Amino acid sequence: MATIQIKLNGKTVECERGQTILDAAAAHGVRIPTLCYHSQISRTGACRVCAVRVNKTMYKTACTEPVAPGMDIVTVDPEILDMRRGILNFLLAEGDHNCLYCEANGACELQSLCFEHGIDVPPPSSAPRNLRVRDVSSSEGLRREENRCVLCGRCVKACEEIQLSRVWNFAGRGSHTHLTTGIRDLLGESECVQCGQCVQLCPTGALSFQTVLGRGQAWELTSRNSVCVYCGVGCQINFFTNREGQLVKAEGSIHGPNRGHLCVKGRFGFDFVQSPKRLKTPLIRKEGQLVEATWDEALDYAAGRLATIKAEHGPDAVMSFTSAKCTNEENYLLQKFMRGVIGTNNVDHCARL
Amino acid sequence: MIAKDTIRSVVEKFGSEREHLMAILRELETLSERNVLAPTVLEGVAEEMNLPPSALAGFVDFYTMFKTAPRARYVIRVCKSTPCHTSGAINVLEAIGRLLGIREKEATADGMFYLETCECLGACSVAPAMMVNYDLHGNLTEERLASILQFYRAGASGDGEGCGPETSAAATIIHDERQTARLLAHIGRVDPGEIARYREAGGYTGLRRAVGMSPADVVAVVKDSGLRGRGGAGFPAGLKWSFVVKGPMQKYVICNADEGEPGTFKDRVLMEGDPHLLLEGMAICGFATDATVGYIYVRGEYRRSIDILQRAIDQARLDGCLGEDLFGSGFSFDVFIKEGGGAYVCGEETSLMNSMEGLRGYPRFKPPFPGQAGFQGSPSTVNNVETLMSVPMILQRGAEWFKEVGTLSCPGTKLFCLSGVLNRTGLVELPMGATLREIIDVYGRGLREGSHFKFAQVGGSAGGVLCEDLMDLPLDIDTPMKHGVTLGSGVVLVCDQTTCPVDFLVQTMSFFEHESCGQCVPCRVGTAQLHHTARRLAQRTAEWADVEKMRETAALMKKTSLCALGQSPIMPLETLVKNFPAEFEAHCRADYGCAACDRSLGRYYTASSH
Ligand SMILES: Cc1cc2nc3c(=O)[nH]c(=O)nc-3n(C[C@H](O)[C@H](O)[C@H](O)COP(=O)(O)O)c2cc1C
Ligand code: SF4
Ligand code: SF4
Ligand code: SF4
Ligand code: SF4
Ligand code: FES
Repeated sequence: MATIQIKLNGKTVECERGQTILDAAAAHGVRIPTLCYHSQISRTGACRVCAVRVNKTMYKTACTEPVAPGMDIVTVDPEILDMRRGILNFLLAEGDHNCLYCEANGACELQSLCFEHGIDVPPPSSAPRNLRVRDVSSSEGLRREENRCVLCGRCVKACEEIQLSRVWNFAGRGSHTHLTTGIRDLLGESECVQCGQCVQLCPTGALSFQTVLGRGQAWELTSRNSVCVYCGVGCQINFFTNREGQLVKAEGSIHGPNRGHLCVKGRFGFDFVQSPKRLKTPLIRKEGQLVEATWDEALDYAAGRLATIKAEHGPDAVMSFTSAKCTNEENYLLQKFMRGVIGTNNVDHCARL
Repeated sequence: MIAKDTIRSVVEKFGSEREHLMAILRELETLSERNVLAPTVLEGVAEEMNLPPSALAGFVDFYTMFKTAPRARYVIRVCKSTPCHTSGAINVLEAIGRLLGIREKEATADGMFYLETCECLGACSVAPAMMVNYDLHGNLTEERLASILQFYRAGASGDGEGCGPETSAAATIIHDERQTARLLAHIGRVDPGEIARYREAGGYTGLRRAVGMSPADVVAVVKDSGLRGRGGAGFPAGLKWSFVVKGPMQKYVICNADEGEPGTFKDRVLMEGDPHLLLEGMAICGFATDATVGYIYVRGEYRRSIDILQRAIDQARLDGCLGEDLFGSGFSFDVFIKEGGGAYVCGEETSLMNSMEGLRGYPRFKPPFPGQAGFQGSPSTVNNVETLMSVPMILQRGAEWFKEVGTLSCPGTKLFCLSGVLNRTGLVELPMGATLREIIDVYGRGLREGSHFKFAQVGGSAGGVLCEDLMDLPLDIDTPMKHGVTLGSGVVLVCDQTTCPVDFLVQTMSFFEHESCGQCVPCRVGTAQLHHTARRLAQRTAEWADVEKMRETAALMKKTSLCALGQSPIMPLETLVKNFPAEFEAHCRADYGCAACDRSLGRYYTASSH
């Protein structure tokens, strides 16, 4: 990469040709506020929050504009702050925001931008508010409160570019622009597979998970990193618990092989963890009743029965059926055990279905 | 009901690639005989084209010509843009109401007519105007309306063939020996329907000359001519062509014929009056930029232009002026038409390319510029109709000849679209730098009896208004800018004492709110706020502080909007407020009487129609 020189807030710095102003500034520790930008999707350039001044008289969005040799960039000064406030005020006027009752409270990018820019009382809007879709119950996993939507398009691109399902699109035009999931426009009737990627990328509370409703706002949740138990991909998940210690939300971690993405199982399949019905010890059926046992007892019992069956009926009387919830290594070991120790090729796996 | 088989055959006819979506939907709409795209039809198309339902839902909702609820056999679209508004569009709506008993968004009981309002139809010299399906009609009076409606009751098809004679190319141009007729030289004299006549008149010799040169030399000649874009921004054409990325990849020439700037009708007249000149200009551009395919993106309302162009394309292919190995040079070039669906913003070059690809007409951020990555990601040269049609004569007669007229920085001629309260309206071709006074007095033959000049809107709704003090300003691309106005597409709309600047502003801002694509925040929200504040001013419920607030809003939009649409409202706003401060102040008083505002508010500013 060729290196070029630019002027960033008065200082001459080096950056890479082809970099956006946003990336070049970040490389020098200068943060430029953004809203529609997200590192995991293609650039949009729609919110205009990241606008900076270039060469004294031009205004360019930092997330889309590539640096050029000699460019003189100012990322913050009273005028630019005013521009950002103007845009944030536009968004507040357009939507209907009540952070008191919003799942995103505490993790909302709009909320923090408004706080950062000192917008204490949003000015009254001079245009009527166009009420948008509230689709909060058609989908089992997702809630859609479009009056909190900033139309950044991150959900559209999350679904199109990461999940490849193309569920979302914009509809309407101008001040009547809104989101749609199709001709009938209900999430629950759309082709959505509930991977939750759009929710994860949504910067506001416009999209949220059913699992968190009434169970803690974003600021009250604590997160712990873990690995998904459902299959051998080994997606990393940040699990969120509320103040009661209840598990309420799963987010894909960008550090895992999943790079932030999850499937419906990893996203929503965590209710078993705190279920009272969850098995905690092995059970052995004795006289028709399932009875709790220790691991030693259970393993001895299984080993004994396997040996007996093999001796009485031959190795092909035994088969194994293993699970995608096991790792590849565990699956390998089981088929090795069946072939090497039991002596049969009766090996099967749930992922064959 | 449209059967699944019909959907399949229409998709097969055009091709199942997404770029054919507009054409497919248009055909299905026509087949519906009720001007509707029913949800089941959209679902069928989605399935047949392997598109998600959201793609169809978002697409039809963007283009105002489409509707998903049944309308009627004939859709009447009455233009309410400033040229028609100031010539009495409201009278037309009221007359239709009397004749048919319907208001906007209503259909007659017999299912024959449905009434809509729309923005500029490109018939401003015969304002007020309307369209019935694809037929254009102007000079509307109640008597004429009655006979036009009778024409459709008797079964006229409304497919574009039935346009009123007052809207023809020959009838629209101003025949006056004093103008500098270069682009208009053939119109009304050479039959546009016959390629042989065009060739007899010297047609295709510019292309023949070009293909005998090197592409770089052609670019050099165009650069040397000083030709600048006529679509509004005035970028030097030769320079734009020289920026097109070089290499073995597919490249395109795209002619921007979306003509939606209120008050503009020049491109329609050019395409209908001299279609081969456009094809020739595009082929030369193709040769110069190493493109083998050209597209003309024509707004969907211009059905007659589309038909005339298609006939010209067919003839040119048969005659060896389009196709393989043109004039034995080894250069191949062909032209195809793409249609718009009723969206002013699709005239913005990147929005236009998204629209061509079957997407919502959202402008793209730049860079990359079309010359680097345009239609389908390939390098594309986008030029206006008038720009491309100026090219053949430059090749034929040379750059020096071209520069003989015009100003130093803006050589050549410019088409001016005259409308409003003039004795003579229509299209006139004058050297760049003509003054408003000359245009009005000589070519417009002055103002109509009883009319006193109040202001002229120059450049369209995205332009500013000029008063007496700027009557002698040379109208080229650069000079007006220095005075806070713009030449734009060449609109000259003349208004008299009966036009209220606040009423005019309301219509202009309603236009921007309606036409904003809604992608970027400042324009999406700003246009709505400007429109509604202007309306409050018209209702006399606003204060001067609201006027100041509008100026701030427009200034913020100017700085931060993604495309030039959101950057535009500031110019009409500032020039109107600057020139008519007393009237704006008066509208801040609750007891001020304004007949013009009362009349508009009583009628169609109830909501923007989507
Ligand atoms: C909102 C908007 C509408 C436009 N409409 C048109 C149009 O209808 N026709 C046109 O030629 N250019 C239009 N333009 C300008 C085009 O983006 C582009 O600059 C032009 O087609 C380039 O051609 P030229 O260099 O030959 O003028 C529009 C621009 C904007 C921002
Ligand atoms: S989306 Fe953000 S700003 Fe809006 S209510 Fe929720 S937390 Fe508040
Ligand atoms: S949950 Fe997944 S499939 Fe459903 S809309 Fe969001 S990104 Fe698309
Ligand atoms: S729902 Fe969220 S991600 Fe989607 S456009 Fe609205 S704010 Fe952006
Ligand atoms: S300025 Fe207006 S028309 Fe242009 S991209 Fe933004 S919202 Fe769309
Ligand atoms: S973050 Fe750059 S335009 Fe939205």
